[in-house]
Amino acid sequence: MAGFPNVRLANRPLHFFYLCDGSGSMAAQGKMQALNQAIRQSLPGMARVARDNPEARVLVRALSFADRARWHIAEPTPVDQLEWRDLQAGGCTAMGEALILVAEQLRSPPMEDRALPPVLVLISDGQPTDDFEAGLACLMQLPWARKAVRLAIAMGHDADLEVLQQFIGPEPGTAARGRTARRPLQASNATSLAQYIQWASTAVVGAASMPTSRMAGAELEGNIPLPDLPPTELDPMDDVGPMVW
Amino acid sequence: MTWILPQGDWLSFEGLSCPVRVIRGLGEGTQGQVFEVELAGDRFALKWYLPRCLQQDPSLERRLLESIRATAPNQAFLWPIALLRPTSGSQDLFRSSRGGFGYLMNLRPPNFLGVVEHVAGRVDITLRNALRACFFLAEAFHALHSKGLCYKDISLGNLFLDAGTGHILICDNDNVDVDGRDLGSVLGTPGFMAPEILMRRDRPGANSDLFSLAVLLFLLLTRHHPLKGQLELEIRCLDEPARRRLYGEDPVFIFDPADSRNRPDPREHLAALVTWPIYPGFVQSLFQQTFCDGMRNPCRRTLTGQWMEALSAALDHRQLCPVCGMENFGARETCWHCGQSLPLGAWLVAANGRIRPTPDNEIHPHHLDGFQTPQLDHPLARVVAHPGDPALLGLLNLSDVSWQVVLKGGGELRVEPGQTCNLTALTRLETPLGTVRQEFSHSRS
Repeated sequence: MAGFPNVRLANRPLHFFYLCDGSGSMAAQGKMQALNQAIRQSLPGMARVARDNPEARVLVRALSFADRARWHIAEPTPVDQLEWRDLQAGGCTAMGEALILVAEQLRSPPMEDRALPPVLVLISDGQPTDDFEAGLACLMQLPWARKAVRLAIAMGHDADLEVLQQFIGPEPGTAARGRTARRPLQASNATSLAQYIQWASTAVVGAASMPTSRMAGAELEGNIPLPDLPPTELDPMDDVGPMVW
Repeated sequence: MTWILPQGDWLSFEGLSCPVRVIRGLGEGTQGQVFEVELAGDRFALKWYLPRCLQQDPSLERRLLESIRATAPNQAFLWPIALLRPTSGSQDLFRSSRGGFGYLMNLRPPNFLGVVEHVAGRVDITLRNALRACFFLAEAFHALHSKGLCYKDISLGNLFLDAGTGHILICDNDNVDVDGRDLGSVLGTPGFMAPEILMRRDRPGANSDLFSLAVLLFLLLTRHHPLKGQLELEIRCLDEPARRRLYGEDPVFIFDPADSRNRPDPREHLAALVTWPIYPGFVQSLFQQTFCDGMRNPCRRTLTGQWMEALSAALDHRQLCPVCGMENFGARETCWHCGQSLPLGAWLVAANGRIRPTPDNEIHPHHLDGFQTPQLDHPLARVVAHPGDPALLGLLNLSDVSWQVVLKGGGELRVEPGQTCNLTALTRLETPLGTVRQEFSHSRS
């Protein structure tokens, strides 16, 4: 049969990590269930984005941290083969250890020589109970960690925003008006959590794997331009600027 | 996903005599959302903009209205048909504080898939249809540029392909602008943007479209990016600064005859190495023109008309390998796939071109009339196999007039529209547009 040669566009791996808080406080108000649901629901959209970006081979891993940090999905798994088993809540918040676990995976090897920027999504509702600073220092000495798109989602009002900001990087200047993913994303309920998870697993994966349209005047912040955040519930159309001043 | 328009509801728009029913959301992009809608019994697509997009692009409405007035350059564009603004009565149904607007266009038929499906190797397509898709893309840009317009932001994401015919559809026509006027703020997509645009030395227009067009043509023909060779392998983390180097600061064509720094790697860039030798030199040289001289000198880039001529000529050279059956395009003396020698074979020779008598190859008006721009949509004749004997080839009369055919030995016969004449017996055929002879050449070129 005459046909196009059996070749395809070259691709690079894109490693996506969920770092999920599994501490005891996540058991309250159904937060753990909401997170499990949000991630599970986001998978079809993530698979679609992976399919639309043939230059990327999207591989997902997840870990949870409570008394200890441990891998929940240890193998880099293609998103269309991913099955999300529920995380359980209970224990302290070993966030520093979680960063050390991720750091071990961002060393070369096991990291490939060539890849797209990894995406790290840290989700937490509280304060680290171990040595967060040491974990972060261990992570950030790695070039792949510094190149990674690092996002943080604060669940509820008790999350330690300062710690999450340290994970993301320096806080953007006051010039960055409105909401930006260069600050922790604050999910006050299950709906906004689901939106942020969906956004991170689709729009951000897309931006990290394949460039999108550029507008004049948009200045590059970080090594990957982050897509606009999803609209919030209160202000569905988002980012209109200050309401009163 | 939160949809801006209420699904299932009827909405009234200014200037429309009947309401529009929102059937379902189809998708979401960075600028807005697209819905399937019903208007007066017909189905359309409605793209509705996010307020922040309107804020960022104040001239959008003006460009759209001008495009609507100008009408589609050709049938390859899913062009805006009408601009829709909600009436004051409908306003409350919109999940948006301010009115905003959208535009109506035709729905994309289901046989058109994103071109990513082709470059990712997930659709079956013949080389013929890949070349036809390239021709139709060049033809679409030819029509657009001939109207004095430019596209500015073509990339894999807004191109759709019918792999069964090679027809294409270009979507997201809302950045279209009068060339050189520079209304609007889009620059393009890295990897498709011309280097001078990526480096902010110039603003997008028809010349930068020619660069993006060549990138897309290259992707369609090779399933590989023209600037990804050795220099890409040296990049560990492919992020924005790296793309800027690769596509903007130091862009080198992987097959640049004068600069071998960026040659494809046999393991990582196999697609380019397998496919490039399939195409004849007159197609390869047009890529070199755009990606070598034209890399820094935008006015040296291959023009749409040159692409159309070369791509249609490549289709005319199409020959099937007698051993493995693969399509060859006159690039080499041996089959690209199995290495067997290809027969010198016959040609159908017309005043302005010659065509291999290979099933599905076609004679078009431009073959007979040198003043016509190449077109593939109205063939005069097609080479077909006999339904009962695939080895027996004939020429099917697709025109609306009868042909006079001169046979070997001097006999003559008439071939009416819809009839096929046996090629084994044919020496010459006369049509009102001109003569086609069958010749057995002793050289390949």
